[in-house]
Amino acid sequence: MSTVSETRKPRRKAAARKTSSAKRVKSQAEAVVSRSEVLIIGAGFAGLGSAIRLRQQGIDDIVILERATDVGGTWRDNTYPGAACDIPSNLYSFSFAQNPDWSRSFSGGSEILRYVHHLADHYQLRPLVRFEHNVESMQYDEQQGVWRVQTSKGLFEGRSIVMAQGPLSNASLPNITGIEDYQGHKIHSAMWDHDYDFTGKRVAVVGTGASGIQIIPELVRKAGFVKVFQRTPGWVLPRPDFETPGWNKALFRRLPASQDALRKALYLFHESVALGIIWDTPLTGLVERIGRMHLRMQVKDRWLRRQLTPDFRIGCKRVLMSSDYYPALQKENCKLITWPIARLSEKGIRTVEGIEHQFDCIVFATGFDVSHSGTPFPVTGRDGRVLGEEWSGGAQAYKSINVSGYPNLYMTFGPNSGPGHNSALVYMEAQIDYLVRGIQTLRERKLKALDVKPDAQRAFNRDIQRRLAKTNWNSGCKSWYLTEDGFNATMFPGFATQFARQMAEFDMGDYTLSPV
Amino acid sequence: MASIDLEKMLVKIKNTQWSLADIDWEAPGAELITEEQWPKLKEFMSDLMWIEHVGARAFAAMAKKAPNDTLREIYSYFHAEEQRHANAEMALMKRWGMLEGDEIPEPNINLRLVIEWLDRYADEMPVYVLGTVVPMLEIALDGALCTFLLETVDDPVCHQAFEKINDDESRHLGVGFTVMEMQGHGKTYIKTVQMLAPLLDPRLLLGIASYFPLLNKMRDNVVAMGLPEEKLYAAMNKFEKIGGRTADGRRNPWFQIIRHHARFVVDRSNRAYHVPVDAIVRLTGYIPRRALPAVPSWVKELTYRPAA
Repeated sequence: MSTVSETRKPRRKAAARKTSSAKRVKSQAEAVVSRSEVLIIGAGFAGLGSAIRLRQQGIDDIVILERATDVGGTWRDNTYPGAACDIPSNLYSFSFAQNPDWSRSFSGGSEILRYVHHLADHYQLRPLVRFEHNVESMQYDEQQGVWRVQTSKGLFEGRSIVMAQGPLSNASLPNITGIEDYQGHKIHSAMWDHDYDFTGKRVAVVGTGASGIQIIPELVRKAGFVKVFQRTPGWVLPRPDFETPGWNKALFRRLPASQDALRKALYLFHESVALGIIWDTPLTGLVERIGRMHLRMQVKDRWLRRQLTPDFRIGCKRVLMSSDYYPALQKENCKLITWPIARLSEKGIRTVEGIEHQFDCIVFATGFDVSHSGTPFPVTGRDGRVLGEEWSGGAQAYKSINVSGYPNLYMTFGPNSGPGHNSALVYMEAQIDYLVRGIQTLRERKLKALDVKPDAQRAFNRDIQRRLAKTNWNSGCKSWYLTEDGFNATMFPGFATQFARQMAEFDMGDYTLSPV
Repeated sequence: MASIDLEKMLVKIKNTQWSLADIDWEAPGAELITEEQWPKLKEFMSDLMWIEHVGARAFAAMAKKAPNDTLREIYSYFHAEEQRHANAEMALMKRWGMLEGDEIPEPNINLRLVIEWLDRYADEMPVYVLGTVVPMLEIALDGALCTFLLETVDDPVCHQAFEKINDDESRHLGVGFTVMEMQGHGKTYIKTVQMLAPLLDPRLLLGIASYFPLLNKMRDNVVAMGLPEEKLYAAMNKFEKIGGRTADGRRNPWFQIIRHHARFVVDRSNRAYHVPVDAIVRLTGYIPRRALPAVPSWVKELTYRPAA
């Protein structure tokens, strides 16, 4: 996506180290608020899904730490107008908790959030959640075989940890000169200001990535004038979004197998898209042709079409889905600006063609601070090793979920688990089932710790990076999938089916087992 | 002048941005334009502004074909900077009362044909073709015209604006000549022939057919305004001097083509060149405006207003 370089990290490491040692000292003296078998960080899809599956396997001693006041994760935070998922709802939901009542083929953010709330209520998960508990650091106690998690409201202990804080949870403002000088209203897409009335206002939208293209049509409907600042145009495919007919919902309710069948069909369709998006195949050209045809059909002006034509291979960056973005750009009260941004001024945005574009409000749809090489808070493993430091050259894990030296620690959406073509929840479910198995193993074999062997992790990453080299993500464009040095610590180079197969196998030979 | 480090140049470009709002367009000095100067200056500024705008579009095409990310970003900036120059020149015209309302000055027919060509075919051209033509246009027309303007106009705001414009232009030329050398580096016979192959491309031939008369037309225009012809030729000779300063530069076959063409242009006695080209200039003068398609929408991006 996106526009404008994201604010990043090197400062974080040093700060993290400092905080970490300070917390270490503090944690030893502080009383423990709660001890549990499993501590889950984050009450979004992944955190709640993990809790549901753990309970279904008889593991009930769970505490979920959540920094906000409600469940929902990314769908609680991203409430900007037009927020929606670009994977069909029947696939963007858990297979073990299907919803026959999706109102549209691509449901909006509020309906997805209602689904998350339904999960929390139906499975009675709310009592497990400690709201407004922001995790500040965590440290492994090798002797006891427990993790000590320092939160804003005290110290928690857990035998196993599920880091389900989400990869896209920290909003990032772009690193534009003069961003502090701007005196008008500033809104980030992930922290929407619902009290701000856009009616008749002059609005800038910086960024034309996944959130930008959803916000723009909504703002064009309401605001006086919208200027859209684009750095790089993305590939936009049409989104066949339609209302679900009543008979369809009734059918799904009466015959759940029919919904399973649709889900399977959607899954297979998205799997086939991988052939065009992940690797450069003859299908890539076909998908690009669909993108170009979509642009040609919706945009008549040659120059505007040129401005909106991507100059990288499809799939290299996130593929966007929208049928109303291009029409919105051509409305009377909307204008696409592709001049580079020179700086922000008191009244607006100065672009390199020498003009100051003045606004009442600037909306930053500039995405998230994706941690390629750091961790959102200091994580200290065996022998005082710090994960952020070990990952300074790019994050690496074993099967995306465990890291050697950090026993009993599981990550959802850890390194190299990002999908480019299919539902993130399919990947998440595979990870959840894996971590449930790990935690079960610990319990059944009465183990203190399960730590992946460094050799197994190295071999896994060698293979992953070898496979990534052949993908479109590594074909030369700059994207949030890659570090500044071009290292891909984000995506999984294969079909969702391959990922699920990778996670289905729990190879005990790859782990060091420590008895109690 | 040694080749420049493009990475450092990109940083420098980003750090030296300016806006129309940095200039006080209402400051005193507009009255220094004499009544005698005014009508000629209006035409002159209009041509200058259009050359900047045409240059902007050429940089946009080069950004699409740039061989690496750094150069692509540099060309994107240059595209916008040339547009800034056109906007600033329009702001000067507005200041001097040369624009009626929101009117954009009409481009002459030869510029209009070049605009049409750029809109249709420029994006298809290899970077080394435009990468050689653009420095030529910049050094010859921009360089000579700007110098002439500053010698004849006393308005301090004009000097202030052109000081900034010239700073930008010197960076454009620095990059332009470096890229010409890059394109000539290690050229084998086969590569040279490959680089010349676009000469058989009818789209490029159309471009040449609009570029040749443009140069002659501009020569006629500036001479009519009082610029000594020799100054224009001196600027064109500078292209040969700087472009040919290194072996790599000289090995670039497009440098050789443009250099030879510049010699034809400069040599008024070369009737074999000037008679047909001048005839084309006259002929194009008969093309009715309405026979041309509507101006492309990128032209409508021009504005003299510092704030929008």
